[in-house]
Amino acid sequence: MEIRACMKHNVFSISARATIRQAAALVLERHIGLLPVVDELGKPVGVIRLADLLSLELPDFFNLLPDLDFVHDFGAVETTRPTPQELARPVTSIMQPITFVEETCGLLRAYALMVKHNLHDLPVVGNGGVLVGIASRVDLGAAILSSWMTVEAP
Amino acid sequence: MIAQFLAALIFLASLWLIFTEKLNRTITGLLGAALMVGLGKLLGFYDEARAIAAVDYNTLGLLLGMMILVALLEPTGFFQFLAVWAGRISQGRPVRLLILLGVVTTIVSMFLDNVTTVVLIAPVTILICEILGISATPYLMAEALLSDTGGVSTLVGDPPNMLIASAAGFSFNDFLTHSLPIVVVVWFTALLVLRYLFRRELAVLPPNTEAVLKLDPRESLDDPKTAQRVLLVLGGAILLFFLEELFGLSPAFIALGAASIALVWVRPDINDVLRRIEWGVLIFFGALFVMVGGLEASGALGGLVSLLERLDTIPPVLLGLVLLWFSAGLSAFVDNVPITIALIPVLQGLGARGVDIQPLWWALAFGAGFGGNGTIIGSTANIVVASISERTRTPITSQLWNKRGLPVMLATCTVASVLYFILYPMFTR
Repeated sequence: MEIRACMKHNVFSISARATIRQAAALVLERHIGLLPVVDELGKPVGVIRLADLLSLELPDFFNLLPDLDFVHDFGAVETTRPTPQELARPVTSIMQPITFVEETCGLLRAYALMVKHNLHDLPVVGNGGVLVGIASRVDLGAAILSSWMTVEAP
Repeated sequence: MIAQFLAALIFLASLWLIFTEKLNRTITGLLGAALMVGLGKLLGFYDEARAIAAVDYNTLGLLLGMMILVALLEPTGFFQFLAVWAGRISQGRPVRLLILLGVVTTIVSMFLDNVTTVVLIAPVTILICEILGISATPYLMAEALLSDTGGVSTLVGDPPNMLIASAAGFSFNDFLTHSLPIVVVVWFTALLVLRYLFRRELAVLPPNTEAVLKLDPRESLDDPKTAQRVLLVLGGAILLFFLEELFGLSPAFIALGAASIALVWVRPDINDVLRRIEWGVLIFFGALFVMVGGLEASGALGGLVSLLERLDTIPPVLLGLVLLWFSAGLSAFVDNVPITIALIPVLQGLGARGVDIQPLWWALAFGAGFGGNGTIIGSTANIVVASISERTRTPITSQLWNKRGLPVMLATCTVASVLYFILYPMFTR
């Protein structure tokens, strides 16, 4: 089975010229955790994860201290928001390299790539490298498990 | 003559590489040492046996012993505990926080490596400042500057002191009687200058201090049992440092002895402990000893000694002050360890020609110690604080350091010079 059989065709993406504020608005509106960034031709050039957006608000000490259990109150940090300048930056300034597969990719290979790259969603490209869909771990897992049902019981 | 010229060239080129950071300092040291031995063998002024004899094993042993103790203490969360405690006691008041964090960092770095101290206290400082909603820059810079200043007070507080003590035969108590009183005055001067330079930042009262009061120091201590054991052994080692003359013990023996006792008592994963040892620093020191040994054997340092000897017309106290500012100026731009290792044989050469070098050792200790405050690259603690701040939204820049650190260096060196001048008779003993 190929990934195109189980992927979602309705994929949301954002232009590489969009701002971080626009990306945040789209993530909020569509309630999604992964937003592929595409060029004018619709080819994926990167990806914005929910975690990349939220990292703008996480305090500096988050990355510096190995353990935060003893910090019972984040105090002033709780009310700190990104500055207007930060939100006006292009999405390309915080986007991450994208891992995607072609729509003819086998399910097991696609799942193995997701595990190796620690992804929850895997963008899929069609002819000409244009973004055509996205598959979640559940989409892939369910498709793989459904094939088990064809295995005859002993 | 050619040997002197080429040996000096190898040493100066190494200093240049270290200064420009074109090559890692440990790699530079090893390359310089290898070139020096090679040149020495070729021209017949230096060889392997003399290179090995040039290494000061007392300093290396002392450094290694103290590094093992720090490596055992580091994962216990003890440093984090101290910083959290300081934050809580300060109740979020900026000036009080600055003084408390400065005092904690200074006292710890009087006995332990100040780079480790700063590396582990700086992240908690950033935490405290962020939850208070204030800038961490004054506190981070104060920690580096005050710990560098405080480290000059003890034999084990600062690598140049270890080198000077080993070369001059100074004991732990000599530093307490000669250096500590000066450092106390200089330290308060540094604090007052910092208080003035950061007056605007320190005038901002944090909007919410309750979050700091909710920090629990005990919770931040991951392994109290191990921390207690290592601190007890460290306390024993410090006691023996006081009594080293009475028992005829070397600082290296005390430090390595304490490290082995602590290892037996804690029984950690030894590979984990050894990974925390800064082998790069030890190799750098060893390589510098070999390089400067060759420089001395070539006779290049003899030229400098003769030059300085001609200055016998100037009063000895003035010679001390010149050395203090000369070593301070160099230490602001180049690592103070190679400066100290290179100046030690020069002073010994002067001593061999009848100059009273006792006061000059102290001038070197003050200059090399306080000089590092001047620039962002002047000391390893400064570099470490700056690189930690680069991982935050408000990095400390070189320009900022020049505006805030350089006045501290000039003020501390001036106060040290005045005290050196007034108390000069004390330094001759």
